[in-house]
Amino acid sequence: MAVMRMGYMHVKVTDLAEAKEHYANTVGLYQTLEQDGRVYYKGWDEWDHHSVVIEEGGVGYVKCGFKCEKPEDVADIETKAIAYGYPVARMVAGENPEVGDGIRVTLPSGHQIEFYSQMTAWGLEVGTHNPDAFPRHMVGIGAPRLDHALLWVDDVAGIEKFFMDCVGMWATERVQTSLDDDAHTIATWLTIGESNHDIALLEAPENKIHHFAFEMRGWSDILHAADIFSMDDVPIDIGPTRHGITRGTTIYFFDPAGNRNETFAGGYRCFRDRPTVVWTPDQLGKAIFYHSRELNDRFLTVAT
Amino acid sequence: MPKLTVDSGDVTVDLLEDETILEGLYRNGFAYRVGCRRGGCAICKVDLLQGEVVYNRPVAENVLTESEMAEGTCLTCRAVAVTDVRIALREDNLRRVSSLMALYAATRTG
Repeated sequence: MAVMRMGYMHVKVTDLAEAKEHYANTVGLYQTLEQDGRVYYKGWDEWDHHSVVIEEGGVGYVKCGFKCEKPEDVADIETKAIAYGYPVARMVAGENPEVGDGIRVTLPSGHQIEFYSQMTAWGLEVGTHNPDAFPRHMVGIGAPRLDHALLWVDDVAGIEKFFMDCVGMWATERVQTSLDDDAHTIATWLTIGESNHDIALLEAPENKIHHFAFEMRGWSDILHAADIFSMDDVPIDIGPTRHGITRGTTIYFFDPAGNRNETFAGGYRCFRDRPTVVWTPDQLGKAIFYHSRELNDRFLTVAT
Repeated sequence: MPKLTVDSGDVTVDLLEDETILEGLYRNGFAYRVGCRRGGCAICKVDLLQGEVVYNRPVAENVLTESEMAEGTCLTCRAVAVTDVRIALREDNLRRVSSLMALYAATRTG
């Protein structure tokens, strides 16, 4: 398997000091580097140098990176992406601090996606020798790891095909205009491993980021996270609740610049021979928010 | 204490020092369609018909451009009135969600 996971998400924030407070003290990430106006973080259950990068000036998506197992895997994606017709550029080790050689693919939506196979090892916060179950002095919600992102794109089907044909992902769930074979794809949830999704794509008039998510250990941690958000006056978009799509439990909330974050837990294990789940637009409310069964007026209109 | 008037709704509320227009309206028991409440999504934009505001945080250029600002667009989650102001909502109506909050809006402890 070439790609292993979404390795990092890099976003802009309007106020670096406030964003640092959010990602370090509310989300509970560990700062590993601050350099050139950018701050690098990792979750306690991640071993690579960083998984979240924030940069002062503006708001919204800069890029994300997927970690491959081997350099040959990156080369393979490069060949396939060029053949697919997407612009591909080489990136050299150090271009992203602590990240090795790789490639940068620009989707037709303008989103830049990087693929790499090496990042400086940092280590799990609990270590690997007779480790405890979690860090004894966890901060804020104590998010263990980056999980996935949902991008707003203008061509879901085309970009989905790129992730499937060139990256090796497959769709666990889709929203499409009907149950017919030739239905138009409105949204798709793509996975590389056994999680429900590593990246999701939603049809939208603008090419932006809808949210990026942290994987939590379970529903009780989701509830605890919501309590922390109230203590820290973090605006909650919705939750705690469950998604129909993926069955995951969730809270959507906003960082101090307005970037949407998510805490996500649960879902089901996905294997490549699992049939793709299909949702139709008439059930979109239930698909997204399984309990309220209706969309709030922010979910499909707010993105950065 | 600046006064905020919402056009067409005949609503007037007093804004506290350093309070954003959005906070002032919600404190007084009103609601309307908002998004991130953190200056990132632009959903809470209104037209500033009269008065002056300042922004309590840096606002991203792609959220509120200088020309928009000059033409009277106001991002209510970040805008703090420095004079009496009058605004008009765009795609949404102001909803009164609590008359109790309006009644006791002047009482604020924290």
